[in-house]
Amino acid sequence: MTIALQLAINGILLGGVLALSALGFNIIFGVMRVVNLAHGDFVVLAAVFGAYAFAQFGINPLLLLPLTIGAGFVAGALIHRFLLRRLPGEVASAEASSLTLTFGLSYFLAGAGIATFGGRFVSVPYLTGAFQLGAIEIPQARLLAFVVATLLSLLFAYVLRSTVVGRAIRATSQNLDGALACGVDVDRVRTLGFAIGTAVATAAGTLMSFLFNLNAQQGVLFTVNAFAVVVIGGLGNYTGAVLGALILGLTESFASYFLGATLAEAAPYLLFILVLLFAPAGLLGRRAR
Amino acid sequence: MNRTGLAAALVAVVLLAIAPLRLNGYLVDLLYTTILSVALAYGWNIISGYAGYFSFGQIGFFGIGAYATGLLVADAHWYWMVGALAGGLIACALAFPLGYVMLRLRGPFFAMGMFGMAQMLRVLTTAIPATGAGSGLFLPPGSSITEVYYWTLAICIGAIGLTIWIDRSAFGLRLQALREDEQVAGTLGVDVTRAKISAFALSALIPGLLGGGYALFLTYIEPDAAFSSRLDLQSIVMAILGGVGTVWGPLVGGVVMTQISEALWARFPQAYLMIFGGLLVALLIVLPRGIVPAIADRLAAGRRS
Repeated sequence: MTIALQLAINGILLGGVLALSALGFNIIFGVMRVVNLAHGDFVVLAAVFGAYAFAQFGINPLLLLPLTIGAGFVAGALIHRFLLRRLPGEVASAEASSLTLTFGLSYFLAGAGIATFGGRFVSVPYLTGAFQLGAIEIPQARLLAFVVATLLSLLFAYVLRSTVVGRAIRATSQNLDGALACGVDVDRVRTLGFAIGTAVATAAGTLMSFLFNLNAQQGVLFTVNAFAVVVIGGLGNYTGAVLGALILGLTESFASYFLGATLAEAAPYLLFILVLLFAPAGLLGRRAR
Repeated sequence: MNRTGLAAALVAVVLLAIAPLRLNGYLVDLLYTTILSVALAYGWNIISGYAGYFSFGQIGFFGIGAYATGLLVADAHWYWMVGALAGGLIACALAFPLGYVMLRLRGPFFAMGMFGMAQMLRVLTTAIPATGAGSGLFLPPGSSITEVYYWTLAICIGAIGLTIWIDRSAFGLRLQALREDEQVAGTLGVDVTRAKISAFALSALIPGLLGGGYALFLTYIEPDAAFSSRLDLQSIVMAILGGVGTVWGPLVGGVVMTQISEALWARFPQAYLMIFGGLLVALLIVLPRGIVPAIADRLAAGRRS
């Protein structure tokens, strides 16, 4: 019983950070119908950068958050402006070519990360202690990452719900023609959406460096995680993404305890393939695909 | 193909056939890997180019072929080519139920679903003791690179022949129709499910057959080599560079790509991945439809004026 509770707590704490990462993935899919295969590489680059800055200069990674968020925002805006927007707009091939473009981008970022930071697995040895609650341990770093991720997710939800920009983003995701008819500058909204999505990814990455040992080539794991979370919750559904992240976090936590780390690696793949096949609109999704 | 084309093709085949007798080991290895990637690109091109279902997981069938051959050779002592043939047929047979399920997904969902399938296979092989788990599987020594070379060359030529046939056949037209608009193709009487599952099975057969040769070439297989995402990426890039859904795209893209890749690998081993990925991004912007369609357009424009 204690073990189950412990695993559940670990899973929920992980789920909170996964949720933040998935929100970034989701907004990009929402505004542009682009599955961003470079998502995880942004996560991992920010994580490796955080570990590097901590080891070299002793900078508290929480203080790095504004910097990584800013860098992610700018990088996302530039990538949309100069790369994605240049793709030919023919309907049939647009989806495939954006997928291939982010696929290439993912390799580019992973390669750049390896060339800059080397291939060593690193993490931030920050707040390594744990709170004891009876027999249950709550690792401080995980708890902190969870709290910050939740705060950032709430900020994200506020921007999306209650600001003009957020409304424009939601309008673009829900109905492109409607948004255009209402005078939304869809092109700008997309740049903004991509920029916000990338910034959220890098923020999640900074927090991931508390939880995982990573090198720059691990990006694909986080792309798959984000994809799985979003598929489970239903694409474009933000509440669903949070639910999906909790499910995935719990699954990974229990699977790695009972099946071992190697087999647990298959958990997100299995989960999203099952959901795609049996509940293609996601657990909370309504739109048919 | 006209007469000049046929003559050129014959000369190329003869040159490739005598190459291993004349060239040194390094060049034969290089030629082998080139032919392997071109053949993989042709395999990918059927389901992803003609039928329009982008897959990031065809390497899974390659891994199935490699492991099937490895087990049949190491444990059952089969002659390797028979094992490789069996590997290809197993991959192809598995593609029918898998295709029936997976091809309900579309676009990025299919691409990622296939990626997930290949990754699950990789994880499973690391966990199953029969496949040597993470530490890999040794094949008995004694096989020669020449045999593997001819096997791979034959499959590559077969894949090109198959693509030429698809490009001209009613089957190819059905695939292209469902690529452009699956619903409309269905209403016009195309048995969409059957057409795409057949294409998927052919796209599984080719890597399945190639995997066995690769296992022999390495003489040692482990999950990361058999389900190599680098090989997968490389063949996809080749097809895109040459022209997706064209007969000669994978070949042209493959030859150009191998030259670039070899030069990069030799000069910038550190930055290889970065340049490779960057190149793919740049290509999509500059030549979105690939080399072959670009040349065809240029020629057509020349004829008109």
